[in-house]
Amino acid sequence: MKRRHVLGTLAAAAALSQAPLAQAQETIVIGFGGGLTGYLAYYDGLVLNGAQMAVDEINAAGGIAGKYMIDFQVKDVRSEAAAAAVAGNELVAAGAVALISPCDADPAIAFAQPAQAAQIPVIAPCASTPVLFAAVGDYTFQTYTADNLQAAVSAKYARERGYANAYILISPDTPYTEKLPLYFADAFQKMGGALVGQGTYAFGQQDFSAEVTNIKALDPQPDVIMTSAYEPDFPAFIKQLRAAGITTPVIGSDGIDSGTTLALGEIAEGVVFTTGGFPAPGSDLEAFYKAYVARYGGAIETDVAPFAAVAHEAVMTLAKAIEAAGSTEGAAIRDALAAMTDFKGVTGSTVALNTPNNVALRDVALVRVTGGAKEHLGNMQPAAADVPAP
Amino acid sequence: MTIELLLQQVLNALSLGGTYALLALGLAIVFSMMGLINFAHGEIMSGAGYGLWFVILVGLPFGLGIVAAVVTGLAIAVAMEKIAFRPVRSASPAALLLTSFAVSGIMQVLFQNLISPKGRPVAVPDVLTGSWTLGTLHVGTIQALSIIVTLALLAGLTVFFRRTRMGIAMRAAASDFDVARLMGIRANAVIAAAFGVSGVLAGAAATFWVAQRGSVDPLMGFLPVLKAFIAVIVGGLGRLEGAVAGGFLLGFIEIGLRAFLPDDLVAYREALTLALVILILVLRPRGLMGRARESVR
Repeated sequence: MKRRHVLGTLAAAAALSQAPLAQAQETIVIGFGGGLTGYLAYYDGLVLNGAQMAVDEINAAGGIAGKYMIDFQVKDVRSEAAAAAVAGNELVAAGAVALISPCDADPAIAFAQPAQAAQIPVIAPCASTPVLFAAVGDYTFQTYTADNLQAAVSAKYARERGYANAYILISPDTPYTEKLPLYFADAFQKMGGALVGQGTYAFGQQDFSAEVTNIKALDPQPDVIMTSAYEPDFPAFIKQLRAAGITTPVIGSDGIDSGTTLALGEIAEGVVFTTGGFPAPGSDLEAFYKAYVARYGGAIETDVAPFAAVAHEAVMTLAKAIEAAGSTEGAAIRDALAAMTDFKGVTGSTVALNTPNNVALRDVALVRVTGGAKEHLGNMQPAAADVPAP
Repeated sequence: MTIELLLQQVLNALSLGGTYALLALGLAIVFSMMGLINFAHGEIMSGAGYGLWFVILVGLPFGLGIVAAVVTGLAIAVAMEKIAFRPVRSASPAALLLTSFAVSGIMQVLFQNLISPKGRPVAVPDVLTGSWTLGTLHVGTIQALSIIVTLALLAGLTVFFRRTRMGIAMRAAASDFDVARLMGIRANAVIAAAFGVSGVLAGAAATFWVAQRGSVDPLMGFLPVLKAFIAVIVGGLGRLEGAVAGGFLLGFIEIGLRAFLPDDLVAYREALTLALVILILVLRPRGLMGRARESVR
């Protein structure tokens, strides 16, 4: 943590000395709090790397509007709400002009509250439950493909495929695993579908035999099963579902956009899921993924995810807002963010933040598992009216 | 609810309860010997899972992976005893407990930093992902195997504890460690054996767990071992048969609640499970098979 900070400062210093055109007179603090240890480590690690790339690009180019160099301060929130609250307070006290929040909704809320009180904008590039506006306030922005946005797209897809009856599997353990399928049910029913059943699971319960047996007993049988379960619950669920001889199509969400899903082999064949983006050949996102693995190592297929690109965009969005506002004052940045209608960054999607709850309206990618690989079905941006209210 | 459905759920409960029983038995063996509640038992399980993952990663068959999981479980458990617990063996139960927390935390961070914070996929061969059909019942292959292997392991352990010298020595040490030592049983040997057996059981449980979930991650062992603790307590601390009974009972309670609770109550089943556990402990404070200490002596 500390070393990163020092490295960041060194990089900034190096960038300063190497950029003769830079007129930077001021260094501003942008703070990042993420679960670099604990259950969010994978996600927030990607967010940190993506954001760091954007910071380095901006500083190498002489700072925001050639005026503000970024001092990127990183805090590990250990994937805990309590530690996130402390980190939020520390970054506010360190004079941050804007913050990037941890991935999951609960730590993000705890992290953003001190910033809201101090009127400092917070961007959540990864927390996908659209609750920050209601739980924290108008200084929060969520730029990832939100749960209700994904649900609108998967419901539309399901109805277009002619599915009439749906079963949803939820877990009240996190807002993501509970709300997303409920948003789906909401949108699916509004589009003329029916909900024939709902199952509940607990995180890591591993054993889905009781739920699967219940699905088998449903009458009428569902045409589609929708869940936002992810590892390790999703693989366990679909294995036991298929082992019981149930072949009903399954729709998931971005939590299963991972190598584990593909490693399931035959069992995952035909699973469709919504996700934050797809690195189609020649796309902007593919170019970003290549730059990412060039810097951090790994493979495009397994070691990068849309969170990194959206985090990159989040920093760029902040830079653009600061430039547009011509100020680093919190209220001015907030207003500039809230006025954004068609920002375009490394994901290639337009991002609109002039939405009722500051939740980005943007493209959602639809992906199907075909032959053990991800097949891009296309990107879809739902109509604002089709997106269930948070 | 038809008879088929009921039978199906009974099989479900046997399979889940069996895994809990394997883990609970491992915990109970170590507890009965040392008075140690080993919170790092879950990390033995995660480590065994990584053993399986590694063997498959380098392209060896799944069967060898199972052997690797069991051997890794055994090795980690024995090493854990020697490195972490032997030096503090005569310390207070609280010191032992805290040591096990430390071991657990250290191992989680090691898995996270040396391997990956993210789950590592383990491809399970298609033979294991299918199901067996018994009349109108579908039993997942993994589920069926877990029931069979659990019963075989329990039978094997029964023979081990009844017939072999080491098994009898371990039972003696479990019932009264000091007296057993006075009779000439070597403390280091029985305790290492206890950890070894618990490691093998954790390795077997890890194999089923990983085969079912398809991935290994640093925190994998925490939840099932937490459940196993509950099973040990319900069964009666220090009683090996009790741990097995507690594991199966917990499996039946969990599946029963998930199968038969009305939809709007399902969200509360963890709370209901624990409420039932508390009720059992109120009625039988020493657990299902626990005996009052006085009667043992």
